[in-house]
Amino acid sequence: MASSATAWSWDVAAKALDTVDEPYEEEHGGDITVEQFGRSNMKDKFRSRVLSGSGAPAVATMESVDAAAWVDTGGLRDIGDWIDDAGIRDEFVSGKWGPLTKDGGTYALPWDVGPVAAFYRNDVADEHGLDMDGIETWDEFIAEGEKLPDDVAMLNLPPNDYDGVWRMMFRQLGGLPFTDSGAVNINSEKSLRVARQMKEAHDAGITSSVASWSSEWFSRASEGTITTILSGAWLEGTLKSEVGDTAGKWRVMRPPAYESGGNRATNWGGSNLIIADQVSEAKARRGWDYMQFALGTKEQQVTMYEEYGLFPAYKPAYESDVFDQGSEFLGGQAAGRLFAEIAPNIPTYKYTTDTPEITKAINSEFDRMINGQISPKEAVDTAAQQVADRTGRDLA
Amino acid sequence: MRNLSRDEAAWRFLGYTFVLLATLLMVVPIYWIVVASTLPEQAFLSAGTDIQLLPGSNFLANLDALQSRESVDFIQSIGNSVFIAVVYTLLSLVLCSMGGFAFAKYEFKFKEPIFYSILATLTLPIQLLVIPLFLMISQMGLSNSYWAIILPWAANPLGIFLMRQNMRQIPDALLESARIDGATEFQLYYRIALPTMKSSLAALAIVLFLFQWNLFLYPLVVLEQGKYTIPVAINELVGAQRVYYDQIMVAAALSIIPLFLVFLFLQRHFVSGILAGSVKE
Repeated sequence: MASSATAWSWDVAAKALDTVDEPYEEEHGGDITVEQFGRSNMKDKFRSRVLSGSGAPAVATMESVDAAAWVDTGGLRDIGDWIDDAGIRDEFVSGKWGPLTKDGGTYALPWDVGPVAAFYRNDVADEHGLDMDGIETWDEFIAEGEKLPDDVAMLNLPPNDYDGVWRMMFRQLGGLPFTDSGAVNINSEKSLRVARQMKEAHDAGITSSVASWSSEWFSRASEGTITTILSGAWLEGTLKSEVGDTAGKWRVMRPPAYESGGNRATNWGGSNLIIADQVSEAKARRGWDYMQFALGTKEQQVTMYEEYGLFPAYKPAYESDVFDQGSEFLGGQAAGRLFAEIAPNIPTYKYTTDTPEITKAINSEFDRMINGQISPKEAVDTAAQQVADRTGRDLA
Repeated sequence: MRNLSRDEAAWRFLGYTFVLLATLLMVVPIYWIVVASTLPEQAFLSAGTDIQLLPGSNFLANLDALQSRESVDFIQSIGNSVFIAVVYTLLSLVLCSMGGFAFAKYEFKFKEPIFYSILATLTLPIQLLVIPLFLMISQMGLSNSYWAIILPWAANPLGIFLMRQNMRQIPDALLESARIDGATEFQLYYRIALPTMKSSLAALAIVLFLFQWNLFLYPLVVLEQGKYTIPVAINELVGAQRVYYDQIMVAAALSIIPLFLVFLFLQRHFVSGILAGSVKE
């Protein structure tokens, strides 16, 4: 094993890896350097260096959504044997592995998941007499939303990210964008259900249309004119840092189901750690040793969750009583436990190198659908046809 | 000054109005960047409700926020960019003018094919060259050095082309008479061609400086933190969930200054008519 290795990451993830640095070096020796980048800079730089076969770090962060494209470069190391030797494969939530495996190889170790919750403004709900606890299905969600005045939206459908909303809701139904044989499947019955549900919410007049992460989006979240935000567990950290003045006014609940008794678990976001194929055996082993320590131990995953809100994909971590502690920001609610209950039930999903095409097609067609130019059926059919045309795949 | 007829006066008025509008169009974005850099982020992102046109007093606070980021030292990146762009421009001016002079004034075997193949490299997008260049540079042991960024486009094909076009205007008779007076070939280039090309060189200098100043993907891949150029450093401010516009505005405002100085310095040399009187026909 090499004495040193470098890890690349961005933003909060890099800071989280930094907290693991010291305990790792104390217990295992070696010297790990964590380099922090801006997210898009790191992705461009890493991909270029992987493609050129030199200059990549031993360890790097990879979002699940990028997994197919990155694995496809052939520049990532298959670490499946190491994962199996360590016997930790089953200790991660099953929904994570889909995008990370290809042709029997496993190319990443799962880090965090984004169990989806509806983050809602409890004060706004109280003020207008909404019964949030009584909501189980979308129909009930819309009915409660109709109690709000016109200038207060129940839900925001971001025009820059229809595909994000669609993907999350589609996954909740267990939908897959491609069939096993690789045919385009975004015109399936499940996808159509999602489109109809989004359209129905919009037509009921309970939605706003603000670009997510924009300044306006944050200011509306802060003033309480967007009541509910469907997002991954990590949103709590973002809200804390951006609209800290609303602390204590937020709560979380499971996302609405399509029908009574339906699945209420899905995912938005999440990352993994990978090893570049080009690094020496010795460096790779050091990198793996560090990864296993950071992601495959209860203690470190819990630390990263506590400090930076990265929700572990590592199930044994959920035993920690950290998840039962009330969050001050969420008015004392033990949101961690709710997320820990959601995480194991997240259906698996498959990203491919053609995922960006789906993103483009869904965004443009759903925009037309929401604006009333085409029906939900036409929207998913046109989007599917567009993806099929552009990728040379068949329609399911 | 003779009195203008009404038509002429009207046209002149229209002309000035147009120039004024064009100037405004150019200046407003820059002015807005400078103003935005002095305001708190919320103040200039308030979605057009009340547009701020007067500078605020938040510049230093924004600069502090920018400089407190761990992953990038922005002030240092300005230094990096200036050094790289200045050295590159000087080196490239020498190489391009020599190349241009050779193609314009000498006859040699395969001159045309060589020239057009140099020109053809202009059609290669930089994205295509990044990975092979990165490999070459690492094998030469130059990775993460300023030279890694300066050398690859030092003999810039566009520069060679422009210099060739301009140097064709130098009268052959002038060069011939210098030869008869005993000038060496290098002296022809240095003493005669270069001085007559001052304004073209100044124009080319700006093109080359801007080309290097705006390179993004290549420096990102080749350089490590600490050696980052301005565009790469600014892109560090694009976070996973947030874009730090206040800091980006400060960074953009600061990065305009060197460009502004370069323009001021080179402007004096945009003098045409240098060729006038250099030869008696």
